Amino acid sequence: MAMEYLDKYPKKFRGTGVIKPFAATFKLMVKTVLPGRRSVCIMYPYEKEWVPDNYRGRPGLRFDRCVGCGICVRACPTTCIELVEVDDGQGNMVKKPQVNIGRCMMCGYCAEYCPVDAMTTTTDYELAEFTRQGMIYDPRRLNFDYTTDMMEVHIEEHLMSNLEKGITDQPTAFFNTDRPVLNGDKCISCSKCAKVCPVNAIEMVVVGQNDKGKDIKHPKIDDKACISCSNCIIDCPKDALKMNEVL
Amino acid sequence: MGLTEWIVNRADDVIISMSPYDVLNLPYDIGVKVWESLGGLIAWLINLIVPGNWLSEALISNEVTNGVAMIVMVLVIFIIGFLTNLTMIWEERKVLGRMMDRRGTKICLLGWGQCLGDGLKTFMKENVTPKAIDNKIYWWGVSLIIGTSVLIACMVPLSPRWFIVNYEAGLLLIFAFFALAPFLILCAGWSQNNKYALMGGFRAAELMISYEIPMLLLFAACVLMTGSYNIGDIIAYQQENIWLVVPQIIGFFVCIVCAIAESERIPFDLAEAEAELVEGWQTEYAGMKWGLIMLGDYFRGFVACALVVIMYLGGWSLPFVNQFDWYWMYFPEIVMTLKICLVFFVFIWARGALPRVRTDQILNIGWKVLMPLAMLNLVITILLKVGGVF
Amino acid sequence: MDGKMKQDKMWVTMGPQHPFSHGLWTLRVEVDGEIITDAEPEVGYLHRGWEKECEQRDYQKIIPMADRLCYSASMTWSHLFCKVAEEALDIEVPERAQYLRVVADEICRLQSHLMWLAAVGTDVGNLTIFLWALREREFMLDLNVRLCGQRLTTNYPRIGGVRNDMPYYFERDCLRGIERFEKALWDILQLTDESSIFVGRMKGLGYITRKDVANLGITGPAMRGCGVDYDVRRDDPYDAYGELDFEVPVLKEGDAYSRYMIRIEEMFQSCKIIKQAMKKLESIPKTAPYRLKVPKCIPEGTHVAKMEDPRGESLMYLISDGTDQPYRLKVRSPVFVNVSASKHMVKGVRIADIPAIMAMIDMCLGETDR
Repeated sequence: MAMEYLDKYPKKFRGTGVIKPFAATFKLMVKTVLPGRRSVCIMYPYEKEWVPDNYRGRPGLRFDRCVGCGICVRACPTTCIELVEVDDGQGNMVKKPQVNIGRCMMCGYCAEYCPVDAMTTTTDYELAEFTRQGMIYDPRRLNFDYTTDMMEVHIEEHLMSNLEKGITDQPTAFFNTDRPVLNGDKCISCSKCAKVCPVNAIEMVVVGQNDKGKDIKHPKIDDKACISCSNCIIDCPKDALKMNEVL
Repeated sequence: MGLTEWIVNRADDVIISMSPYDVLNLPYDIGVKVWESLGGLIAWLINLIVPGNWLSEALISNEVTNGVAMIVMVLVIFIIGFLTNLTMIWEERKVLGRMMDRRGTKICLLGWGQCLGDGLKTFMKENVTPKAIDNKIYWWGVSLIIGTSVLIACMVPLSPRWFIVNYEAGLLLIFAFFALAPFLILCAGWSQNNKYALMGGFRAAELMISYEIPMLLLFAACVLMTGSYNIGDIIAYQQENIWLVVPQIIGFFVCIVCAIAESERIPFDLAEAEAELVEGWQTEYAGMKWGLIMLGDYFRGFVACALVVIMYLGGWSLPFVNQFDWYWMYFPEIVMTLKICLVFFVFIWARGALPRVRTDQILNIGWKVLMPLAMLNLVITILLKVGGVF
Repeated sequence: MDGKMKQDKMWVTMGPQHPFSHGLWTLRVEVDGEIITDAEPEVGYLHRGWEKECEQRDYQKIIPMADRLCYSASMTWSHLFCKVAEEALDIEVPERAQYLRVVADEICRLQSHLMWLAAVGTDVGNLTIFLWALREREFMLDLNVRLCGQRLTTNYPRIGGVRNDMPYYFERDCLRGIERFEKALWDILQLTDESSIFVGRMKGLGYITRKDVANLGITGPAMRGCGVDYDVRRDDPYDAYGELDFEVPVLKEGDAYSRYMIRIEEMFQSCKIIKQAMKKLESIPKTAPYRLKVPKCIPEGTHVAKMEDPRGESLMYLISDGTDQPYRLKVRSPVFVNVSASKHMVKGVRIADIPAIMAMIDMCLGETDR
């Protein structure tokens, strides 16, 4: 038996007086008073603990990278993210995420699931505000100046089919593999999917003509541009699109 | 000296030849000096406007000077005691902090100001009084606990020239007032109509019967050795012969344990064990009442330390130093205060090192350990005395 | 009046806002003077409908919620949820992820036990134990930050693996920290085991027997403290525990002090496990997979997974209906079961012993009331 503590303290030897606690506390007091070892207290507002880059503080947003796909909105467990329209600086109104920090549970899912690494975690944890309104971080305010590579959380998933084949060096993520597939019978050529696609990966192509002589248009998905955001699937009025999960 | 004589006569003029110092009572002398300058100035100003009036005469008369000086004396003694107390609270904060690997408070003057801040905070709190209490005992109990604590703190002399009244039975009187508190705590606990408070009160009584008797045995040994109840005499004896800590080393350690129990500090704070009884007998005392109880507790700690210093550590004396030769740079008041703080350090140390004991454990410790040791100490003292060693 | 005082017993309500109840729960005790004759625990003040709330969440969104079940054992709870989901999907996580989970689990166990030791310190009235234990816990939390990104709510395991691989230098930091901690723990033990007052507060109190364990379903250190040799990690190994060498401490006394000793020994064993797992992780290449891609929806069926929580045996029961949200998720909290033993433990002891005995249950109301 390799018990460290129970072996050292046989049952008869317990509670040998009060000398040792006195000695231990006095030793520590002398140590902390003498120079060379300070007490572990951190004088908080004046000095702060170092936090590593992968610390999950408030979410940060790199405005220029964001495509406004809304994956973060759907991944958020507390629904604290919503897409709002903001000026992108060139007069265009674009959709970007806005975070209600008061509700945020700092799980880091938004950063993890972001396909373009626009959402990041940050090391910012001092988030107290005087009003609830102040807790709402709009896309511009979500900017964090000191974003590093560690703060973009990457998914490095392995496909089970790959592992069975013995391939262990091809990490991927759902936005690289999962693509929507069309059930052509249900499609009504409304081209709504093409309109909601944030990366313009959907192009409506003519696949034939109906009885009245109008074109039948089906979405054609550009596999390279698609980021698997499933906006098209959600907005499809006839449930014609379905996500094909590659495992 | 009766009270009337004190008022009629200028005490220091009469007794100055009897005292080794140039004053009989330093706080009183301060009062006299203050009034001589302040009252004299007022009297002189009035005399300028209305020459030869009766008011100026009255202001500088012996009676008025003495009266004002007495008030100032009491104030000075209380304020010095109070400041010592705050320093002890500060000491506890810092030392305990270091023992726990913390820094302790750092607010204002290295943390000394925190005590004032806490006092102000409790003062600002709402004075909540529960409904179904025994009103008279609720108020009188707590007032008397605080009152007796402050009283005995002021009764402790800091030097041969720093006292209020130099009783012949000074030490006995302090012990008597000191032992009064558990009874009042029991009353206060009962009056609050609260189960926790009631249990806390009973525990205080339970605690008292375990430490009070060894304490009195130690007291008896000390008095037997020195032959006096008077604090000044006890210390004079120790200065002439030897500090009692040497022959009565057992008694010294027992006395420290009893003193911690007497001042109801961790590890013997059963009456307010906050883990099981929310705040013990103080549960229903809110706001400044609680603040004053806390202050009273520290006053009692001060007195307990002072008793240890007086009985065993030679009070205001220092070994190899004759205080009267060095009167111009030897301040016995400061020596005494420092010694009290040193003993209080042991109290803090015990608080840092030990967990709270249980009621049955304190009874066991009191009757099976402290009591025989105190008896042994008494026997040793008697043997030494009979053998003529001291 | 016939001149006799009628002696009545008195009910004292301790809690829900009482210094000894770490969280919102009530222990009503019937006292005869200071001796306790009967007791009755009441829980439920912190019920938040956790299980119902999970029924409207995607599987991956439940992981950070499972962290919130217990603030000091967050990793084991989210791990347990991932485990039940993996059971349902019938997949086995990669080896590297298994060892990473073991490391995170044991760090979590260490910090949970240190939190418990701190609470014991306050309960017996010594703040030094509290602060020394919290100081060491702070190092465990720092390791958590390095590995998972957060101090308490780790959100580290994922269905099919873990969130991220070890960051740079984590191995060095972890081994150094653990070695340092082992020394520091002996320091803390000088305040507890070497102090006759502390031991006197614990020893010979709050007995439970093997019969009580069987009848009440007590698990964890309380069970092992009265002679039942059972640990899920060893007897029904999950993840990499089967390949690791560690001892399960068992004592026969069944009093509060034996539960204390079991927990202290478990801390040393956890250090051992972490060291071994770190060694194993060295031999696994850094590029090895640590996370599998799993489908969003879990096939229909009912699934059970159990684990050794710091407080006992935790269990999750999942009914899935083929969608991406669970149909039902039931949590078996070890504390909820263990607290029912409080009646047996405190009978006959004094009021002053209640904090010391109840601290040995290591209450966590988040998981008890969920």
